Amino acid sequence: MTGRTHPLLGAWAALVYLFLYLPIVVLIVFSFNDSRFGATWAGFTTRWYAVLFARADVREALTHTLNVAVVSTLISTVLGTLVGLGLWRYTIHLRAALTGLLVLPIVIPDVVMGVSLLMFYAFVRAGLERAGWTFDNGFWTVLLAHVTFQISYVALTVRSRLAGYGPELEEAARDLGASGWQSFSKVILPLAMPGVLAGALLAFTLSLDDFVVTYFTSGSGFRTLPVLIYTNVKRGVTPDINALSALLVLVTVVAVIAANALLRPRRAP
Amino acid sequence: MKRTAALLLGAALLGSCYRVPKPTAGISAAVPAARGDSRTLRVFIWSEYIDPDLVKTFEKHSGVRVILDTYESNEAMLAKLQGGGAQYDLAVPSNYVVQTMVRAGLLQPLDRTQLPNLKNIAPGFLNAAYDPGNTYSVPYQYAATGLAFNRSRYVPQDTWAEIFGPEDRLSFVLLDDPREVIGAALKFLGFSANTTRVAELRAARNLLRRVVAKRGFQGFDGGPGTRNKLLAQQIDLGQIYVGDLLIATEENPDVQVLLPRQGTTISMDTLVILKRSASPALAHQFINFILDARNGAQLSNYTYYATPNAAARPHLDDFLKDVPALNPPPSWLRDGRLDFIGELPTGRPQRLYDRIWTELKSR
Repeated sequence: MTGRTHPLLGAWAALVYLFLYLPIVVLIVFSFNDSRFGATWAGFTTRWYAVLFARADVREALTHTLNVAVVSTLISTVLGTLVGLGLWRYTIHLRAALTGLLVLPIVIPDVVMGVSLLMFYAFVRAGLERAGWTFDNGFWTVLLAHVTFQISYVALTVRSRLAGYGPELEEAARDLGASGWQSFSKVILPLAMPGVLAGALLAFTLSLDDFVVTYFTSGSGFRTLPVLIYTNVKRGVTPDINALSALLVLVTVVAVIAANALLRPRRAP
Repeated sequence: MKRTAALLLGAALLGSCYRVPKPTAGISAAVPAARGDSRTLRVFIWSEYIDPDLVKTFEKHSGVRVILDTYESNEAMLAKLQGGGAQYDLAVPSNYVVQTMVRAGLLQPLDRTQLPNLKNIAPGFLNAAYDPGNTYSVPYQYAATGLAFNRSRYVPQDTWAEIFGPEDRLSFVLLDDPREVIGAALKFLGFSANTTRVAELRAARNLLRRVVAKRGFQGFDGGPGTRNKLLAQQIDLGQIYVGDLLIATEENPDVQVLLPRQGTTISMDTLVILKRSASPALAHQFINFILDARNGAQLSNYTYYATPNAAARPHLDDFLKDVPALNPPPSWLRDGRLDFIGELPTGRPQRLYDRIWTELKSR
């Protein structure tokens, strides 16, 4: 865009950003408030962070959260990248329908996804129980659930990263003597890499933040941080939970900024 | 919050269409041995609703590990259990959800012989309409809904008229819950909080229309929000669950709560054993442990909610003994001044409650 923008536009933008970020700022500020109820400022303290790190249930939930986030990100990045490349590379029958299916997990309400997975798992378990096996929802069910919605994000970022390039890229590589594998590993993948990494970071933060799907697909004794935080709201959030939320926000913001930096269009080499 | 609750409720209904095959007796008996479940008790409960030390005592006492999972609304709990998600031994539904759970086939009947401490519960809290004969549930803790204030700002009379009367000089909030708000209006008018009479509901609607049109009306809020507004002296009065307010008194003794003399609503949270429980014997043992006098008192000393355990009363912290709102006179239960929020029959009354609430919220 060229030309001057109206000064009021800048003020408006500032207001919008203030509206978006003020609650988060308030949350972070109040995680340092020396009052249990956080209604009034009672002085600065870091004791809630100490309380937080002393809580065994928080440490356990953190372990669960990170285990699920790391493993599901690895799986969904590999699968999602393959899907993204496939959609870019091949003019297959029903491509529009396939792309639509891919977008579905992004637009579908979390509750619907969570409940449908819950019922699916119950169905599978009933079958297994009849065969004499037992399992309870837990790490694996949550992991699978996360992978199902992460794949879409990875596939779409990979595909949009490659959107500007045509199939002639691969043809050129083959003309210059590259094997199929070489053209993939030396040409296509490096080009797609920013998209892959950005998708992975998005997938990671989504897994880190997800409450609804995790709530429905987790079993007894398997709690992640968002579930821990959200189910604390009934009697009012305690300040150590504010501290935890502040830390989660921090991690998410860093990851999203990194993802954006990776996705920023660069001049073609 | 409300939106989420509504979504979850929808999800629960969706889930209930699907019938989870019940495991046969042989298999469910085989489950605990296969997984060593007899050494684990899984409890599904509200957050901060049990003293962690009490859980530790039980673990030491019985040699089992207790897993506590939390939920934030009855609807969310129901949705998860109806979907057949996880295996729990115990849950803590509010009284009006118990029958829903019975009908959904989620609960198993209790074995009285394993609950000798049931004798500790005050007779007034046994055999209630939501579960005649206490076939499925045992009272855990309850909350009356009161009128909260900050005495350095305004000290009210013990009457709902402070909010529902004609005067408009006080600022106040109402609970963000249809049954509580309509229930309080009904109590003020001298009716039952569970009425299904159309004329009485119309009167409540007309009253509430005027109330939410007052300049002093500051909106609907949950317990923690109302508590914070009172602490910050932003409002004069607030409708609140007594326990949610009392927990703030240790930080600021100026915030207090009273029960209006017209009477009010109470909701009882209960302990139930789930049909899919892998170790019902252990679940009974836990319930009996909670029903113990000292343990019952320790619960309330931690949560600031009221105990239905008569034998526990002497062991309550002095502070809690002194709060009238936490210990409504027993006569109030008998003379109908305290109404359990009950399940509504589907049909016209339920639609009327819904319509009144929608109208109030859309103002």
